[in-house]
Amino acid sequence: MSAVFRRSPVQLYLPIAEIPVNIFVIFGMGGAVGFLSGLFGIGGGFLLTPLLIFSGIPPAVSVATVTTQVVASSASAVVTYWRRKAIDLKLASVLLAGGIFGSLIGVILFDILQAIGQLDVVISLSYVTFLGTIGGLMLVESVRAMRRRRSGEPPRARKPGQHNWVHGLPLKVRFRRSKLYVSVIPVVGLGAAIGFLGTVLGIGGGFMMVPALIYLLRVPTSIVIGTSLFQILFTMAAATIFHAMGTKTVDIVLAMTLMVGGVIGAQFGARMGQNLRGDQLRLLLALLVLGVGLRFAVDLLLVPEDLYSIAIQKGAGL
Amino acid sequence: MIRAAAIAAITLFFGTLEAFAKSDESLVTELSSQTVSIQSNFTGTEIVIFGQAQEIQYRPDTDLDYDLVIVVEGPPQDITTRRKGRLLGVWVNREAETFSNVPSFYAVASTADISEIAGRALLDEHAIGLNHINLAVSGESNVSLSDRDDFRRAFVRLRQDMGLYSERETSITFLTETMFRTNIPLPANIPVGDYVVKSFLFHEGDLIANTNDHLRVAKTGFEQITFELAREHSFVYGVLAVILAIFTGWLAGVIFRKD
Repeated sequence: MSAVFRRSPVQLYLPIAEIPVNIFVIFGMGGAVGFLSGLFGIGGGFLLTPLLIFSGIPPAVSVATVTTQVVASSASAVVTYWRRKAIDLKLASVLLAGGIFGSLIGVILFDILQAIGQLDVVISLSYVTFLGTIGGLMLVESVRAMRRRRSGEPPRARKPGQHNWVHGLPLKVRFRRSKLYVSVIPVVGLGAAIGFLGTVLGIGGGFMMVPALIYLLRVPTSIVIGTSLFQILFTMAAATIFHAMGTKTVDIVLAMTLMVGGVIGAQFGARMGQNLRGDQLRLLLALLVLGVGLRFAVDLLLVPEDLYSIAIQKGAGL
Repeated sequence: MIRAAAIAAITLFFGTLEAFAKSDESLVTELSSQTVSIQSNFTGTEIVIFGQAQEIQYRPDTDLDYDLVIVVEGPPQDITTRRKGRLLGVWVNREAETFSNVPSFYAVASTADISEIAGRALLDEHAIGLNHINLAVSGESNVSLSDRDDFRRAFVRLRQDMGLYSERETSITFLTETMFRTNIPLPANIPVGDYVVKSFLFHEGDLIANTNDHLRVAKTGFEQITFELAREHSFVYGVLAVILAIFTGWLAGVIFRKD
């Protein structure tokens, strides 16, 4: 290896990751993912974390730092929904209680996996599974919607008052804002599941939370996004603190660069998104999600370039 | 900056030399700086080592029966080396071997091939050369004995790829017949801590003199504050990260307000 080091103004040394990065590349990544998240109305964690991992930031630092970035991007959106009063605070609080618990379990598992050297493969496998499933479902749904529109067939309306197994569970609580009377068990469970996944994978989980709230709990669509964002904001805030204390991999300099890029990109994305139709957007998003999932799958299946890897367990720099 | 430091060091060095000239020390060494500070613009640097070996009468055209070796060693670490294997079609880490108390940084510069300078026992004793570092394995390991050397080789190769281990033969240059210098590159990912610069003078395979100099690699300013806060007051650091994130998000929400 040649040992020529130049001092360059675009190189930024990350104090926790302990590597220098090109500040414009990181800023650009934040901006690009922010643009997409504004375009599709998603948090973007599931795109940003893989992007950082693929660009050579250690997976542990990527995951923990993106939880911080998600706090910023959801805080920005929560302000808008708060003003419109489109948040069910009671529902969000119950979800949050579950979320914090799930997040705590997530950090503990993260620590264990890191110690035994299986963190990277678990992150990759989980991404393949979730992105594959959700991308596939979205692809099918959006293609169906486009066909329906072309044939002029009206979308099937859901019957009001339709119930599923969730509504038969005990410990029912009334959520006035959402016009719901439902058991707290699935609400806490849902919060915990998303909090857990978010902490381990570095995603907000909005793309799983929103469909679950709509189809499983029947939360009105006008309230669902604000409530989901509110819960994600505080679950990810908890995840940031847990990661900072447990895995010590939150890089505040990396997070800040991503945040600034992200919030700016999101504004442009949101503007462009208004000119595209819903089913087209969902098709694009589905392809994007599947693409990222596929990339992880390829990395897992192909013979690695190097079979060996090293990890510092104790001593300097730790 | 490096050049300025080097000039300063040379000046300092000649000062030191005067003092040593009358003593019967056969080997004298000096570093271009005692500390390396890591700041936000840190992308690696290099350290210059100067020295004088009095007994050497170095002439490029003659066979040199004196040899010099300079080893820069970083603070110790325990490092696990893992090997991937296929499990149900997926590549996962299977075997692992932990090397304890290995140098976090190791660079060696010499006047000749390490293997020609001295015998194996002497090189092993002073851990001179990449093949002679003491890579002690910890008790628990699922690696078969026959594979251990593969893990050792992989470990050294990966550390070399990261720029943290290096062996540069004939990289010590002579300025005069007795004065020498060498540069050791310190990459951007260099671990912080206390380093030792060990210089050895050999004569026909015997160690006749050696010196130790100390080098400190430390984060300074913002990098140091951030790093120490994250390590020692991790709760405060986490809360601070959250506050910063919420504030940035809120600010963006206000600035780009649409209604």
